[in-house]
Amino acid sequence: MKFTLSWLKEYVDTGDLSPEALAEHLTMLGLEVEGVTEVFPELKPLKTAKVLSVEPHPNADSLHLCEVAVGEEILSIVCGAPNVRKDLVTAIALPGTIMPDGMKIKPSKVRGVKSNGMLCSERELGLSDSHTGIMELPDDLAHGLPLRSALGLDDLQIEVDLTPNRPDCASVIGVAREVAGITRTPLTPPVSKAVLEPDTCEFTVDIEDSEQCGRYAARLIKGVTVAPSPWWIRKRLLSIGLRPINNVVDITNLVMMEYGQPLHAFDYDTLAGRQILVRFPKSSEKTFTTLDGVERTLEQDMLMICDAAQPVAVAGVMGGLNSEVTETTTNILLESACFNAISIRRTARRLNLPSEASYRFERGVDPDGCITAMERAASLLSEVAGGTVVPGGVDRYGGIRPLNSQTLRISRTSALLGIDLDYDKIADLLQSIGIRCVEKDKDTLWVNPPSFRIDIEREVDLVEEVARLIGYDNIPTSLPTVSLSYPEQDPQRRLRSQTADLLTSIGFFEAINYSFVTEKHLSLMQLAENDLRRKQVALLNPLSEEQSVMRTMLLPALLENVKRNINFQKNNVKLFELGKVFSPQGENEQPIEKERLTGILSGRRDGDASSLYFSDENVDILDAKGGLEELLENLRLQGCSATDLVEFRIPEEEEVEPYSDAAQCLLLDSKKGALGQLARLQPEVAKLFGIKQELFFFDLDFELLCSLQAIPKNFSSLPVFPAVKRDIALLVPVEVKAGDLLETVRSSKEKFIEHCEIFDVYQGKSLEKGTKSVAISLTYRSPTKTLTEKNVNKSHTKIIQKLTSQFNGSLREG
Amino acid sequence: MEQEILSLQGLAKEQLAAIENGEQLEEFRIRFLGRKGQFSSLMKGLGKVPVEDKPRLGQMANKAKKEVEALYTEKQQTLAGGSSRATQKSGAIDLTLPGRRPQSGKLHPVTQIMNEVCSIFESLGFSVAEGPDVEHDHYNFEALNIPAHHPARDMHDTFYVSDSILLRTHTSPMQARIMETQQPPLRVIAPGKVYRCDSDITHTPMFHQVEGFLVDRQVSFADLKGILTTFTQKMFEKDLDLRFRPSFFPFTEPSAEVDIACVICGGSGCRVCKRTGWLEILGAGMIDPEVFKMVGYDPEIYSGFAFGLGIERIAMLKYGIDDIRLYYENDLRFLSQF
Repeated sequence: MKFTLSWLKEYVDTGDLSPEALAEHLTMLGLEVEGVTEVFPELKPLKTAKVLSVEPHPNADSLHLCEVAVGEEILSIVCGAPNVRKDLVTAIALPGTIMPDGMKIKPSKVRGVKSNGMLCSERELGLSDSHTGIMELPDDLAHGLPLRSALGLDDLQIEVDLTPNRPDCASVIGVAREVAGITRTPLTPPVSKAVLEPDTCEFTVDIEDSEQCGRYAARLIKGVTVAPSPWWIRKRLLSIGLRPINNVVDITNLVMMEYGQPLHAFDYDTLAGRQILVRFPKSSEKTFTTLDGVERTLEQDMLMICDAAQPVAVAGVMGGLNSEVTETTTNILLESACFNAISIRRTARRLNLPSEASYRFERGVDPDGCITAMERAASLLSEVAGGTVVPGGVDRYGGIRPLNSQTLRISRTSALLGIDLDYDKIADLLQSIGIRCVEKDKDTLWVNPPSFRIDIEREVDLVEEVARLIGYDNIPTSLPTVSLSYPEQDPQRRLRSQTADLLTSIGFFEAINYSFVTEKHLSLMQLAENDLRRKQVALLNPLSEEQSVMRTMLLPALLENVKRNINFQKNNVKLFELGKVFSPQGENEQPIEKERLTGILSGRRDGDASSLYFSDENVDILDAKGGLEELLENLRLQGCSATDLVEFRIPEEEEVEPYSDAAQCLLLDSKKGALGQLARLQPEVAKLFGIKQELFFFDLDFELLCSLQAIPKNFSSLPVFPAVKRDIALLVPVEVKAGDLLETVRSSKEKFIEHCEIFDVYQGKSLEKGTKSVAISLTYRSPTKTLTEKNVNKSHTKIIQKLTSQFNGSLREG
Repeated sequence: MEQEILSLQGLAKEQLAAIENGEQLEEFRIRFLGRKGQFSSLMKGLGKVPVEDKPRLGQMANKAKKEVEALYTEKQQTLAGGSSRATQKSGAIDLTLPGRRPQSGKLHPVTQIMNEVCSIFESLGFSVAEGPDVEHDHYNFEALNIPAHHPARDMHDTFYVSDSILLRTHTSPMQARIMETQQPPLRVIAPGKVYRCDSDITHTPMFHQVEGFLVDRQVSFADLKGILTTFTQKMFEKDLDLRFRPSFFPFTEPSAEVDIACVICGGSGCRVCKRTGWLEILGAGMIDPEVFKMVGYDPEIYSGFAFGLGIERIAMLKYGIDDIRLYYENDLRFLSQF
């Protein structure tokens, strides 16, 4: 909602409030001021000028040489306008002026004659479309004045961001009423209350369904002369960004801005049968051309204003071309109505035709205000357009609303707001904005909200009014007194935070990607046509194809993140995301949302750590595995007791994802089912995402992970006796898996083995082809004594025998 | 022979101590420790000693050589450590070299702020509840007193999945979901992702919100002010000026918008606060009786307040991030800053 300060002041005395203070007050009343700006600031450098003399240009027939007075200065100017004449007062742009269209005026030579500025047309000033000549200002206007003040444009535009509950303030008078409450001065609207003589006229109005149209008032104005509006009307419209059209249309717009009541003017002589019928379209009425010249497709529930033959307007949205007021119009039927808010909203939406009128109707207009606004418009049409207002008119007021008189409890108001109030205080506040009230009993007020406050329907609405008028800042601040209780913690939330913390501590950055992605991702990932992840939840109204379906996997977006980072020369990337994936259920059912944890690794193992100390080796599949092992142990699912809750497993061929490298892929199993996998990404898939470097990922079902019962922390006493370490260097065929060697040691049940680990794997020239050397370190310890050589040797020899015989190996010499 | 060993050792030590630069050190190495150096000659000389003395003298010579070698290495390190620091006690290590830092990652700034917000409310006794991203129209709108065709729906540009299923436009549906199944007193916050079909410099189609509400007997607007003032001051770690101004949300009445004094300019007016000196950070209000009625609470007995805040907005203000699109590009140059 926009208005100007001078317009507002016409209806209320703002006292000594500065524009800033006024804006502050309005904002704190809930009418948030978005901006206070000067009207037409680009016209600031322009001045008024008086033409002193006009001579023909020596070298061009259509041009004139003019002497122009601008205050003290006399300038010679070349002008091509046909209306330039001696004594004309007009607008001048002096050299250095930047015109509204951005052009800079410079002293120049026009056909060999010097010109020191430009006399301007209204179009050049952005004031109208008129470009038939230079602007004509009143003859008695002094020259050399700033043009803005000469035109009365020396004004401030105030824009208020209205909340949907305050349609009454979608009008200058509505805002003025709030200001009157601040300054405690009377409101002075041009017409305060009008009555319409009952039906004594030559046309009829009928409403098919009063649910759709609560009130329809109309009257005739005959003999108008359609012409451009006088400057004071055009100025008002221009100042708030509305385009003047002609006096009749401008008046309806002006009054709508004043009163918040949309009005429509029909060319009366185009209406068949001198009849107005408010109805839905007939099945034969499929299209309708609105006055912007666009043919619209009608639907059966779009309310129309019709004459005896056909629709002539889309009710509350836009008039029709067939009944438009044109230059030849002389008789006008003026409509002031009140339509069903939902119906208007739906129609304006479906026609994609939001208008100032539909904005007001869909929020609700004051049904009692129709006649007042119509009276104001009629008197202006008579005054400005020379029309004769035909006495009487039609007022169909079928959908009468019950007077919503209410009670307001003082105790309730005080309790809800947390401030002590009494009758006098509340009554004073409400009455300051025109809400009448009387004392009902000691604790209760009878309140009678005015008809324009359609938002006040319940006691709580009045409580809000009281709060608003007291000023939220004047309500005290306290802390609630509530009984102590322990906020329950969601275990999944806790695990999520634990997981994220662990992963960041080992070098991963957390990523957050959009929940909606492109469907194309899945083809890039080589998913089979029947892959369940191909079943996606699609948006009906996506912003773009790139964000059109809900994701079923996190990996593709992470790949895009890697690509982006490589583009910016960040080649060492470790990212993870903890987020939801969505799989559809039935139509009109919510999809299943499941949380997944996906991580991606690429580039140097030690990231951007200094090469001074860290090797430049790149990550491999075992980094992905190690990261997960660290996480799983931290979450106490692995490595904390004799039996692990999750285990890595080499997949069968058919278990390998199409985007995983089968030779470098591990599955993670749990007792409750498949937990996830880690793998090297197929280089072909990486390439499809524009990535040339090697990538590894892990991808887990986070909800399943959370559902696993972690192994409780349990103390075991610290060893008292020393450990004995023995190493074994074993030569085995290359196919032998390190894991099997360790498993053999662990399952051997030899006495005193506390720990075993692999500390070197070597394959190379010095060894026989087809063999590798695996170095295993064994730690022996007894809980009850210091082990002797003899104790250890016995076990150690057995282990060596077992390993060499089982894996066809031998001890490495040296 | 024994004497020879000891004197060579003594000589070597003496000379080594006097060495001041690498060149001299290299000369020393060649002279004493090189293949043709004096220690090599000494070892060769061991061949001539009587057999019974060999083990003892051999050991002794080896020990002497090792000792000199150790001193040599030490000297080498001292010199490498920089002659300018020669006087320093720990001279062997250049302490101006960067530390040996293992690389750690970081949480996304949205998660960091989210954690902070949640922990402030958890400290105030609020519990945390999460709900579905894809919601029923009913919970997102109807149950919050926003019927179909209400103009307030204009404030929510909604992504639809079907006629009645949508991407939640706020985390407020959790208000209805929780009140439906639990009885007051309630103190709950609901963090999560929300979606609006709006995308420009100041809007991304997905962002994060925390919704919170408190319901009990005799909860007042003054209490709402108290809780949100406490939150804001903890969040921004100072006594910021705060203002509450009337607004409109269909599920609260009275409704308020909460502004803080601009953290960029301190209230004097700048580009970020659009010269107003204030920044909007929260929407709030007393829960509307209609919402209570829909979940079967008696508004004559219970009252409560609700509030909602945008995480990205707070992160922008707290960290000075000026482009909201950066949040979802996951650029390491961005992520590593927080």
